[in-house]
Amino acid sequence: MGRGRPKRGDVVSGAVVAGLGLYIIMEARRWEYLGADGPGPGFFPLWYGIAMLALALLLVATSVGGGSPASPAEGRRREIGRALVAWVALAVCAGLATLLGFLLAFGLFTLFVVAVMYRRPLLPAVAVAVGCAVAFYLLFPVALNVALPKGVLGF
Amino acid sequence: MDVLPGLLQGAAVALTPINLLWCFLGVVLGTAVGVMPGLGPPATIAMLLPLTFQMNPTSAIIMLAGIYYGAKYGGSTTSILLNVPGESASVVTCLDGFAMAKRGRAGAALGIAAIASFIAGTFGVLGLMLTAPPLARAALAFSSPEYFALMVLGLAMVVLLAGTSLVKALLAMLVGLWIASVGTDLFTATSRFTFGHSELLDGIDFVVVAIGVFALGEVLANMESGHAAAMLPVPTGLRNLLPSRAELKACRFAFVNGSVVGFLIGVLPGAGSTIASFLSYGVEKAVSRHPERFGTGVPEGVAAPEGANNSETGGALVPMLTLAIPGSATTAILLAALILWGFKPGPLMIQEHPTMFWGLVVSMYVGNVMLLVLNLPLIPLFAQILRLPAYILYPVIFGVSIVGVYSVSGSQFDVAMLVGFGLLGYLMRKLDYPAAPLILGLVLGDSMERALRQSLMMSQGDLGILISRPIAAVILALAVIVLGIPSLRRANAWRMKAIG
Amino acid sequence: MLRALVVLLAVGLGLPASAAGQGFKPSKPIEFVVHTGPGGGNDVLARFIATAMGKEKLLPVRMQITNKPGGGGLTALAYLVEKQGQPHTIGTFTGVWITTTLMRAEAKVTVKDLTPVVRLALEPAVIVVKHDAPYKTLKEFIDAAKGNPGQLKQSGGSIGSRDWVIRQLLTRHTGAQWAFISFPGGGERIAALLGGHVQMMVIEPQEAGEHIRGGGMRVLAQIADRRLPGFPGVPTLKEAGFDIPIVPVVRGIVAPPGAPREVVAYWEDVFVRLAQTATWKKYLEDNQFEDGFQRSAEFGAFVDRFSEMMRGLLREAGVNVVR
Repeated sequence: MGRGRPKRGDVVSGAVVAGLGLYIIMEARRWEYLGADGPGPGFFPLWYGIAMLALALLLVATSVGGGSPASPAEGRRREIGRALVAWVALAVCAGLATLLGFLLAFGLFTLFVVAVMYRRPLLPAVAVAVGCAVAFYLLFPVALNVALPKGVLGF
Repeated sequence: MDVLPGLLQGAAVALTPINLLWCFLGVVLGTAVGVMPGLGPPATIAMLLPLTFQMNPTSAIIMLAGIYYGAKYGGSTTSILLNVPGESASVVTCLDGFAMAKRGRAGAALGIAAIASFIAGTFGVLGLMLTAPPLARAALAFSSPEYFALMVLGLAMVVLLAGTSLVKALLAMLVGLWIASVGTDLFTATSRFTFGHSELLDGIDFVVVAIGVFALGEVLANMESGHAAAMLPVPTGLRNLLPSRAELKACRFAFVNGSVVGFLIGVLPGAGSTIASFLSYGVEKAVSRHPERFGTGVPEGVAAPEGANNSETGGALVPMLTLAIPGSATTAILLAALILWGFKPGPLMIQEHPTMFWGLVVSMYVGNVMLLVLNLPLIPLFAQILRLPAYILYPVIFGVSIVGVYSVSGSQFDVAMLVGFGLLGYLMRKLDYPAAPLILGLVLGDSMERALRQSLMMSQGDLGILISRPIAAVILALAVIVLGIPSLRRANAWRMKAIG
Repeated sequence: MLRALVVLLAVGLGLPASAAGQGFKPSKPIEFVVHTGPGGGNDVLARFIATAMGKEKLLPVRMQITNKPGGGGLTALAYLVEKQGQPHTIGTFTGVWITTTLMRAEAKVTVKDLTPVVRLALEPAVIVVKHDAPYKTLKEFIDAAKGNPGQLKQSGGSIGSRDWVIRQLLTRHTGAQWAFISFPGGGERIAALLGGHVQMMVIEPQEAGEHIRGGGMRVLAQIADRRLPGFPGVPTLKEAGFDIPIVPVVRGIVAPPGAPREVVAYWEDVFVRLAQTATWKKYLEDNQFEDGFQRSAEFGAFVDRFSEMMRGLLREAGVNVVR
């Protein structure tokens, strides 16, 4: 045990959640707290908003003070970066799916992951991407009759 | 209800070759549907309804029911292997199931899930058969104050799911409560937190959050490293593919716990299989001698929730068949199916159509056996999924998640939210916020608020109604006990240390 | 890309042919939009219609159900509006859509944007209490409510639902007061009544039928213009002495905005023929629906009147009406 360094992650996340709590409280104030028939829509959010704000501030306070002793190894910049890149790629894929349709967007995404993120040679990467897209096509719309997101271009 | 003649009557119907075939088809289809995240029994049953008009109604309900409880078996597969909840109730199985897989015990986890599901499923059918009408009537005593107490008990379980930081667990739970409030307030039709989007009027689908936070969060965390190797150790050899004796022994109480808790919760129309799984898991952890190991991959952490969500199907059929009161989306559509076929569900249905009821009961026994026999040998096959290198497996998981979410609502908005929750899941992992309390808050928040407000409407503002009714009072007392458990344990440990 | 161009060309070439006064005839499966999920009220109705159409061979193509649940009908509404110009898409309609669009600022389109096709059926309702309740007539219940304001409770749906409207109308008419407790599902409402936690509820006749037969519920009055065949001994609201507007749950068919005259005429014709079949008549009877068949023009006028009435009721109850 022993005191750790101020955990920046905890301080920042605590502050963000505290902000959320504050937002919830402000919204909850706009709605009826106690109506004619019973508690209104503002009742519950007000209370959990307050709890959220209080606990989040507590978290920030204890983290600045010394933090909890046990915590996972803080990821290094590069690794977090990789994960975030993957996430951005996923977001782009979802966005592209509205335009190009799921199959095409997913194929591109897979290609990106295999070739760029895992640095596989280009030809096998394309094969994997096409293979996955075809597999999804065969499994979902064809075999299971489950619709895949269609894009503007109709795929 | 005379059980023995009923069973004989049912056996005569259920054990005919054609009905055995329908049962088999139903459970296989159900398993496949359960494995697929997002796609669930309600949509599948709806798709098959037109075909059932050509069939004998008893055969049809045997098949559709097979889909219903078969899906519960399948839901555990992706939960354990990929941390992707196949069904909302399978979320709890992800906790220890996936942890077991990470330790190389994926086969054992799948086996325990199958065995627990079998034991609990059979218990559920027994319960349905023996206690249906009186239990349904007894369940009517449950109303909003009792449901409120039950939800409080559920939320009290947070302290058992907390892990290292109680504050973070509570914050995660509160965020879950907030997500649950997004949408339309039932009583006043006020829109809350919808930001003007009509897609949010019905709230955020649980599936979107669960898959995003669990599956996507996990995969993103794994993508930090560029290793192309397989994600998890692949179990080889029979010993690693099936549960060991010691593991099975550890699950003895869990089998009972899951069966009973799941069935009783299932009988209540206002509580569903997700609550049943959480409660069963919480009970198991509360009585365990080594609670701190939960979450690291203990077999009973898989057995309890898996059992609960299976016996819940038997329980949910109790109010549906005896009072025409559905307790979930699946039972609602089964009820609609019965109406479409010309039955009139209600208090007299079992008396007037004993063949259908008993045929269904016997087929459920048979179905559970079929599922056990099907699932156990498939374990080595499923485990092979783990062999796939990361760069194939991860895009596939992403793809399956998107398709699964889209299949529920057909909404690109939901897909966008899924991606957003994926980021949240990743961040929570990095910052050490436990995900289970968030899911717990999400599942319970809505029901709890509704129950509270309904109760106060019933009592015209008198808070006393929440504790003055006997059932509610007992449940609330249990909640207080649960809240006290960690402190009790700490005090006990301190006492032990002082003595020793 | 090429495929899209080809489709565009085909559509472009096809249009003049149908506009030449040939009359519309469907050439691909019909998309039948439903605003509930599988198993919900309109879903069951739509599936029945699809099956009946097939059985009676009223359509040259088959019908496919598309579930677009959410937002109290808003999702389905928005979807139908998107399908403007598509003669192969129609949807089931309920009065709920009108209420939802009146109350929700999030609604970007309203029922007035759609093309009314036909009104099919009116769902009456009955007022029930638990079988051992001390009230044998509606009057007894109302008097008890007057004597104990706010003590008696009714279980029902959310604000704007038919049971809420009935409660508003009755309380306004009689001066009695009782609590209205919303439950999200019909099952929970029934459970609340049977468990003795609420005293009264408004319920559809076929749902109540089995409970009445089984002895768990007692009917006090029926919300209909004429006595239903299934309840010959039960007074209607008017007969019981409460002359309030009968608020039906309306089910009908609508088409995307601006549907051309011949398309509407085609659908009207198909549904007229459906309404005349024995299959349909039996369906109405089994479900205790009233035959409220109206053609497009009449239906449109009805929608306007209904909107006005709901707007007035909601305003009176203090609910925020946005349009």
